[in-house]
Amino acid sequence: MNLRTVNVIISREYLTKVRKKSFLLTTFLGPIFFAALCILPSLIMLMAEDRGKKIGVADESGIVMPYMADSKQFDFIDFSDEPADSLKDRYFDLGLDALVLISPLDTVKKSVSVSAYSQKPLSVDVKEALGRNVNNAVEDYRLASYDIKGLKQILEDVKADIPVSTYTMDDSGQEQITSSEVYMIISLVLSIVIYMFIAMFSAMVMQSVIEEKSSRVVEVLISSVNSLELMFGKIIGVAAVALTQFFLWIILTAVIVLAVSPFVGMDVLTASAGMQGEQMDMMAEGFGVDPSMMDPSGMTASIDAISSDSQISAIMSTLGSLNYVEILLSFIIYFVLGYLLYASLFAAIGSAVENEADTQQLQMPVTVPLLLAFFIAFYAFKAPDSQIVFWGSMIPFTSPIVMLARIPFGVPVWELLLSIGLLLVTFVAMAYISAKIYRIGILMYGKKTTFRDLYKWLKLK
Amino acid sequence: MNEYLIQCRDVCKSFGEKTALDHVSVDIPKGKIFGLLGPNGAGKTTLIRIINRITIPNGGTILFDGRPITQDDVRKIGYLPEERGLYRKMKVGEQAMYFARLKGMSVRDASEELRKWFEKFGIQSWWGKRVEELSKGMAQKVQFIATVVHRPSLLILDEPFSGFDPVNAQIIRDEILKLKDNGATIVLSTHNMESVEELCDNIALINNSHVVISGGVDDIRRKYGNNHFELTYTSQEPVASVPGSYRVLSDKDDSGRHTAVIAIEDGPDRNAVLKSLVDMPIVINSYRELVPRMNDIFIKLVTEE
Repeated sequence: MNLRTVNVIISREYLTKVRKKSFLLTTFLGPIFFAALCILPSLIMLMAEDRGKKIGVADESGIVMPYMADSKQFDFIDFSDEPADSLKDRYFDLGLDALVLISPLDTVKKSVSVSAYSQKPLSVDVKEALGRNVNNAVEDYRLASYDIKGLKQILEDVKADIPVSTYTMDDSGQEQITSSEVYMIISLVLSIVIYMFIAMFSAMVMQSVIEEKSSRVVEVLISSVNSLELMFGKIIGVAAVALTQFFLWIILTAVIVLAVSPFVGMDVLTASAGMQGEQMDMMAEGFGVDPSMMDPSGMTASIDAISSDSQISAIMSTLGSLNYVEILLSFIIYFVLGYLLYASLFAAIGSAVENEADTQQLQMPVTVPLLLAFFIAFYAFKAPDSQIVFWGSMIPFTSPIVMLARIPFGVPVWELLLSIGLLLVTFVAMAYISAKIYRIGILMYGKKTTFRDLYKWLKLK
Repeated sequence: MNEYLIQCRDVCKSFGEKTALDHVSVDIPKGKIFGLLGPNGAGKTTLIRIINRITIPNGGTILFDGRPITQDDVRKIGYLPEERGLYRKMKVGEQAMYFARLKGMSVRDASEELRKWFEKFGIQSWWGKRVEELSKGMAQKVQFIATVVHRPSLLILDEPFSGFDPVNAQIIRDEILKLKDNGATIVLSTHNMESVEELCDNIALINNSHVVISGGVDDIRRKYGNNHFELTYTSQEPVASVPGSYRVLSDKDDSGRHTAVIAIEDGPDRNAVLKSLVDMPIVINSYRELVPRMNDIFIKLVTEE
């Protein structure tokens, strides 16, 4: 390899990518977009609320109606005096959004049955509000039926919501209050960011290879430089683009945080960080981890807890105790190695096709491990030392992403070294294979490439 | 000093079961224009790629100026492939600079030399334009400059005239001849036989992975001449064939002015035939040998295989 030539290739690759409008846009709007992404879901949840729904209630039990309190969302209209059948007939004349029929009280079971009728399917919000009100009514009726004085007050007093303070300690007896939520957020953010970076920039290498092949520049190039110089020049050039973007993002985020904090204060920022933790938690639940935690009262409780003073100090203490140098360093090492591994594979795929549409099939074996790594990493915070997460952080194709998710929780040095070593060895092996495919692939036109062709090219001298 | 710049010795190349080159030996003389001919799929491009060290041969050697070719020698080659292109989004000047620098030129040297060429072709105003704004012919000109800017001692041009209008094709033709006068060796691969006759000193014809014929263009044309002569004369009566001496293949009578093609048969002396014609009662206006066109030789050799 001629280093001067490789340099020329790297600088062209770097300069053309960095001067692109899309690069400038993602670099400067990225942090803003990120912030928006954290705030938007809660905003949308707030705004997507029904307003002024008219709901007719025919309460034959006589205990529920007092609990149907009007709100901004709902107007409850009492039709308890009319018979249910005639109400149903008149439903369309009344202009109601829904009609709720409550059966007479079953005194044996101490219960009622509730049915709601509407022209359009009932929204989840309405159904939940109805259920809550009816349950409150029935619970209070049942409590009263025990005829114990002040029972309701007793039950209120008994309710407990005790936050668990978490500390880490080391063998020298140093204890530190920590926030598990902060670890979770950092683990998730790290794995999302490294996944994004590896996927985005490997794909950029592939596009760049395809561009050279489809515009037929490649044969001119390949007569001046050898294919190895061309492939690695390109991969290194794009890596430089990625690192530039990464550091610009860190600087920009720091600037935004420093600019915003004097106005809103540090506690608000950390509290909102806690809120985002909740959102991520909910996102994780959405993937079906632990449905029991969907309970809304549990959510409000933990938000309350987070905004309490002790929680803030835990967050601050955790943020202060994190080894940022280690995190940054491992991010860079794992990004560079993981990117090199995937980028060389994507370069080989790009060399085998003439346009991006043909990449679908050939990409599969490469994108599947990448996605798998992302999913393992997404749940790593639940059990950072479990079998699947451990092996995920060792196997080279998933380790860059999964290991990053483990880093905030602390990883023994030998595991880090082993994982990095394995990754390095795999990269060298894959780069060798990719370079062989690339060398032949870039000059192949016409026939659509299959996996068998790739195998044949590998064996060609 | 070596007489040949490139010597290919027994070069073999196969892709799986398909043989592209089978013991091909070609010598390319220094300072000459060498035509590399052959039908599509004959193996020309493969041979060119092997000389450029893009493809590694299965067997045989390539000598550059008498010694085995190295990667450094590739920098002395300027290659204009048939499948060529430019980065569409890049500016013309930057792109030309990129190619020049890949060939090992310094920034200053490349910029100076490129400006000279842009001026020569009168295209200085294109420097800052994006390639996608250029027409195909314009892009071809830029491509040609990028191929020759580093003053290569060997130029390999694969269909250099395709995409050019006649005026620009002439400009390129003149530049090629100028480069030859300045000492460059040029390999021209083309299907345009007229430009082969006009430009090439030597040729090699490759068909089905083999060299079918190679040598000087004039020698080859003579060799494939069928002893045909064109005779123009004035006479009332057309001349007739003389068995054992010559046959009249065709005779066109334009009110007494005849143009006849005669084939001299094997055996008799050419001069004796001419003498016998002079003795006839006709007025001879001209008499010349008909050398076959490269086009005809090409078709004959390729279809005979």
